[in-house]
This record gives sequence, structure tokens and C-alpha cells, in this order.
Amino acid sequence: MADNRVEPFEVKDCSLARFAVGRSCSSLRELLDAIRTVPEAVIEHHMMRCALEDHFELYEFPNDFARWCWGPLGEHVLGERLALIDPYRHRDIAGLRTELANVVEDHLWHLDRVPYCRPGLELHLVGSRLVSYDTGERITTPVALAEAIPRLSRRSLFYHVHEAWRRSGRSDDFSAWLEKHPGHEQLAQRIRSIDFHFLNLSQLRRELIEVFREYLPEKGVVPPA
Amino acid sequence: MNRLETYEQVVGHQEITRLRYLAQGLRGARVVHVNSTRTGGGVAEILSWMVPLMRELGIDAHWEVITGPPDFYRVTKAIHNNLQGLPVPLKDEDLQLHRDVNRDNAEKLALEADIVIVHDPQPIFLPEFTPKNRVKRWVWRCHVDASRPTRRVWKHLESAINRYDAAIFHMAAFTRPLPCPMFLIPPSIDPLSDKNCPLPEDERIETLRRLNVDPDRPLLLQVSRFDRFKDPIGVIQAYRLVKPYYPDLQLCLAGGPADDDPEGPEVLREVMEHAGSDRDLIVLMLPPNSHREINALQRSATIVLQKSLREGFGLTVTEALWKGKPVIGGACGGITLQVHDYHTGFLVYSPEGAAYRIRYLLRYAEKRQRMGRTGHEFVREHFLLTRHLRDYMIMLMCVTQKDKARIPTPFAA
Repeated sequence: MADNRVEPFEVKDCSLARFAVGRSCSSLRELLDAIRTVPEAVIEHHMMRCALEDHFELYEFPNDFARWCWGPLGEHVLGERLALIDPYRHRDIAGLRTELANVVEDHLWHLDRVPYCRPGLELHLVGSRLVSYDTGERITTPVALAEAIPRLSRRSLFYHVHEAWRRSGRSDDFSAWLEKHPGHEQLAQRIRSIDFHFLNLSQLRRELIEVFREYLPEKGVVPPA
Repeated sequence: MNRLETYEQVVGHQEITRLRYLAQGLRGARVVHVNSTRTGGGVAEILSWMVPLMRELGIDAHWEVITGPPDFYRVTKAIHNNLQGLPVPLKDEDLQLHRDVNRDNAEKLALEADIVIVHDPQPIFLPEFTPKNRVKRWVWRCHVDASRPTRRVWKHLESAINRYDAAIFHMAAFTRPLPCPMFLIPPSIDPLSDKNCPLPEDERIETLRRLNVDPDRPLLLQVSRFDRFKDPIGVIQAYRLVKPYYPDLQLCLAGGPADDDPEGPEVLREVMEHAGSDRDLIVLMLPPNSHREINALQRSATIVLQKSLREGFGLTVTEALWKGKPVIGGACGGITLQVHDYHTGFLVYSPEGAAYRIRYLLRYAEKRQRMGRTGHEFVREHFLLTRHLRDYMIMLMCVTQKDKARIPTPFAA
């Protein structure tokens, strides 16, 4: 039953305009210099929007900087430290940039030589601009949202979870909407507590489906993950 | 049913809705694509579907082709090779011919537009010779790896590129610092074209027999122009390393002529010499419109190879993945975006590496099938024409918007 006091959930979608900045890194010093000087859109892309480009469950780490340091650069300790940085805990990119630069500089400080990657394995820096748009789809009840999750595009999931945290700094869109419905506060809290930092978008969808199934156990409401 | 509705059956309703939404902001905009051939090669194939679909979405899209004397194509092929880092001698008069043909075409072509998208280096000097008020924005679409060009050719092209408002590359690794925004848009395939649509079984079998390929024996296939960067000789070497273990094995090298590639016949001769009298090694020079034949070959292959040494994107890889085939590809260019070890195939670095992976995949049929299924879904998500069209529309919106400064340029960064 729709609660008339709550506005319907507007399903949005998004796409990226990806652009090169004409820079690449082949050493840790170049990475540090890039982190300090590239446009914010580049930091944002490699730390957050790279989630939109993961297709396979190939990656141990959630951001491009950690992957490059762990892999081509062979700096496992630094890879682990960068992987743990949660970009969504920062109010703005400037704060994230500072933390990244501190971690990389601290690691570099203790090395006897600057690590380089092999030719062909450089980190090519990319930025992006997110273009969001309304799909026209409106969801009026929590049950309808549960039914919609399996068929929403991966980009919609990214927009309503990752990008929502980036916009608001405190919540994804699903739980923000659900908590306006009396009796669904726990469900909202459970969704908000999903640690999506470690999930690719397919895994995130499966986790959302499981949470809805747990809280809305009526038979058939949520199809299998 | 219009074309977009037909694609909806393959890519889903959401994707088509997304395209229609984006197109609203570009309705009526005149967009002109310019390249150097209507047939042969990936660019002509892309434009043959992109232009009609843009029109169906309300964009006033057109396709113009520059023309020149035969010597022009020899020169632009050499420029193309130099742009990809293969030194081919060019005289001063060759470079002057490049500019002169562009000047002539600037007068002949219908270029009045909001945006002109110039594909590859052949028509790259058009902005210099087109009166300023005829075109509002120029975009250069580079389809090859331009990261390490020869110095002389880059200096020749640089003066032209500086006149563009934006450039597009397949991937960041293909770019060089330019004074304009550099968008990244991988190309795509058309799932409903003759080359990629489902084929009736009897047509597939009949086509194989007509091309002297045995439909009942394992088949290795490489589809590409006869071009040294595609390493057809390396493919033959790999096949010969595997043949003693699988005596039934066949290799088919299928290519076709392109109007703008005068080196093809010479490379074909070399391939024929290496092939010798082996009846299981089939070399096919197919006419440019042999799309259904290529389709039948790809659907019949046990494993598809694309053992390139340099590659733009490698649409033949995309086509093979879409048809559920594992791909063994050279670790270069756009192949690395598509072939992921143990997921969609294997990247290799030598004929020996290719032979090793061929033997592995011939041994494990179940792994071949699983990779094939994964590859098909991977292409559906990332490399079908609807995604490509969406990226183009977003790029057009960014280029036409006044706040395009939000896309940083290397020199502004």
C-alpha cells in the first residue's frame, strides 16, 4: 500500500563521460605528484567511479590506485593501505586527496629506491563527468522497491548508493526513502549499513536482494539473487 | 518496427529509454561524420549504423567521405603506420599532397554543421581549409594507438589537431597530451548486422563448404586485414606448433581488401608463401561485403585468434566474444580491454604463447564454453552499439555545452 505522505522514489540512471588528461605514472613518485596535482575529477574517478567499470569479480581492491600499487608496482604494503581508504568518509575530494598523498608520501619516505613499473603497465590517468538522468520510473511502496532491485541497471545502483553517499555524505537513496515509511526504519538502517566498499555492483545487488528478502519475507516478493 | 525498437530486443528497454532521453538535448543538431572510405575496415562499419541511428533519435546526422588520387591513399596509409609508431618513409611532397587533398575536399564536402567528427588522420586538415562560420565545433576521432607516433608525422599532424575542440580515443593508453579535452570512447559492434546476427544452421554449413572449411573438424580462425601489425605469420607459426598434437586442426586466415590499404596484397603474398601447400591452412581474401561469410566462420570456430602486435581496438575480438568464442589475443591495444585471462580468453605475447593457449583450450571443452558465455555477456554490457551511441551523445552534449571547461585539458590540468 502506498503511503501518500511520502513522495515516490524516482529511479535515476547515469553514464560517465570519461576523458584522458594526457598523464600516466610509471613510478611511485609520479603517482604522488599526480595525486597532488591532477583535477579532482581524476581522483574521484580512480577512487570511486572505477566501480562502474568492474565487470568480473577480478579485483581484490576497490580502487585503481591500490590495484596499481599492488600489481604493476609490486608495493603490497602500500596497496593494502590505499585499499583501506574509504573515499566516502571524506566531505570533499580535497580531504581525500590529502589522505592519499599522506599515505603515498609516508610509504615513499621509507624506501631506499623509487619503485617503477615495467613499460606497458603504466597507470593512465582518467577523469570522468557523471551525467545523471531520470528514467521516468516511480516506485511508491517498499515492496515495489524490493521487486525493482533485481532489474535496476548497474548504473542506477551506482547512482543511488555510491553517488548518493558522495552527494549526501550520510546515506544511500534507498534507505533515505525507506525510513520515511513508518515501520521500515530497521530495513532502512540495515541497507544503510551495507559495507559497499568491498562489493562490486553485482555483489551489491545480491546483498540488497538478501536484505529485502530478510525484511520482506512474503513469498515471491523478491526473486532469487 | 524502427531500428531502435529492434535493438531493444537485444539490449533491453532501459538502454533504449536512456538513449531517447539523452537525444532530447541534441534534437535537430546537425552532426557530420567524415572519413576516407565507405567500405572496408572498422570505421566504415561503425558509421554505417551510427548515422542512421542518430537520425532516428532526432539528430540531423550525415556521413561524408573524402576522396583523392590513388597516391593519396598510399600517403595516408604511411601516415597511419607512422602514427602507430611504424616508420614508413614520407617525402615532403607526400605530406603536401595530404594537405592539398584536404583543401580540395573542404570545398566539395557538405560540412555545414554544429559538430563535425573527423575520423582518423586522412581528413584531419579539414578544419584548416573550411571557412570558420561553416562548422561550430570540430572533434577528431582517432581510431588507432597514437601514443608513440614517429616524430615527423606527429609534427605534421599536430598543427591540424590544434584546431579541434575535442578529441576521442579508444582508451587512455592511446592518447598524447593535446590542448583539447580527450574523451575516451571504445568502439562497438552491431548485434543485428549481417556480420553478427544469428545464422540459420544450414546457411552456416553451406558457407563453410563453399569456403573449403570442414565443418566437422576443429577450426582456428583469425579475421583481419592482411596487415603486418596483425601478425598473420605468427598465427601460422602457432598453428604449426599445435598441429602435431591435433592433426585434424584447421586454420583459416580470412581478410578482405580495403580501399585505403594498398599494402594488403603484398602482405597476402607473404602469407601465401608461408602457408605453402597445407590443405588445412585456408587463406581467404573475401570481398568487402562478405559479412555473412565472416559471421559463419566466427560461429564455426573452435577458438578465435587475434594475435596483433599493434591494434586499434580489435572489433574482430568483440565479434568473436559476442558469438560465444574464447579469444586468444595479442596483449596490445584494445584487445587488453576485452580479453581477460581465464574469463574471456587469454592474452599472449608470442607465437609460442598462442600455441600453448590453443592447446590448453582444445583440451578443455567445458572451459571454452564457459569463457564463451562470459564473453557474450561482457560484450552485451560494454561493447554493443547502443553503449557506443550513448557515449557519443554524452560527448556531444559536453562539447556543445558552454561549461565544457569542466572537462579538463592536459594543459589546463
